[in-house]
Amino acid sequence: MSMIVPCLVALLLAFALFKKVDVYGSFVGGAKNAVGTAVGVLPYLSAMFLMVNLLRASGIGGYVVDFLAFPLSFLGIPKQLVELMLLRPFSGSGSLAILKDVYLQHGVDTYVGRCASVIMGSSETVFYVSAVYFAGTKIKHTGWAIPIALFCNLVGGVLACWLCKVL
Amino acid sequence: MNIVWTSVVVVCLVAMAFSNPSGALTVCVQSMSQGISVAVELCAVYCLWMGVFAVAEKCLLVEKLASVCGGVLKWLFGSISPKAKGYIALNVASNLLGVGNASTPSAQSAIKEMEHGSKLSRAGAMLFVINATSIQLVPTTVVGLRASCGSANPADIVLPTLLCTLATTVLGVAFVFLGYGVAK
Repeated sequence: MSMIVPCLVALLLAFALFKKVDVYGSFVGGAKNAVGTAVGVLPYLSAMFLMVNLLRASGIGGYVVDFLAFPLSFLGIPKQLVELMLLRPFSGSGSLAILKDVYLQHGVDTYVGRCASVIMGSSETVFYVSAVYFAGTKIKHTGWAIPIALFCNLVGGVLACWLCKVL
Repeated sequence: MNIVWTSVVVVCLVAMAFSNPSGALTVCVQSMSQGISVAVELCAVYCLWMGVFAVAEKCLLVEKLASVCGGVLKWLFGSISPKAKGYIALNVASNLLGVGNASTPSAQSAIKEMEHGSKLSRAGAMLFVINATSIQLVPTTVVGLRASCGSANPADIVLPTLLCTLATTVLGVAFVFLGYGVAK
């Protein structure tokens, strides 16, 4: 599997040269736009990390987790996974760190460990993605987009815990 | 977002002023530098993939990719410019290949190409939902972490993950159809 991407890129570059495209010039031209894009995203990322880190450092995040553990347990989500599910929409690296904690505390091949894996693999960093996608556009109102994505991720979590029981 | 962000930050700052006043500023500054380091990482990934995509664009491969999946794109996104179609095709392809980071610049370009007002259009919402419900074929990061943590069978979560991500993506697309109607 891991061979596919390097091979595709090599094939593309060779094909472009064969087609007499200025490969070097196009690559540099494309890469030039990357700097502006990344700089545009920076303030949004900082603001989001500020909120998430303050929640964790002040201990309020812990209360939120305890508070939500009870309703989520009715949906079949173990309480060890509530923190993972809550942080997942905000931060990929943060939720990866929690995933590792879950593995170390509860074991990789246990029910909780497998659920955590499926949740991590099938959900996405909704708020992070929205910050990155809409930075540098005029979009102020995102309508149904974020609620739909969050709800789908919640359903994904419930489904993940169920699938791990069955499969 | 304005109200949620501000109230969460204010409540947390007040709580920290009592519990751990000296740590509050450290956390704030750390968050900013975290933002910068992630942006630098993103910049590196963007440089690579925007460069590669620019080459693909120059030899008209993106147009071909878009016309191959034109029918599906039209059903999902409605009538959008050929340029946006190309970016979306690239975005979905890189998602499926598991090059998650390569999907971001193409999605951004597509959004820039399609969105002009202050309100997110149906096509933009569709692209966002498809990306935010994760459509990866193999969750490489998770399988790798499982292996490094000593799992007996690191890949045994691939099937449930695939089923789960398929189900959420289909659900998300259905919700966009429900909320915004059929594509024009």
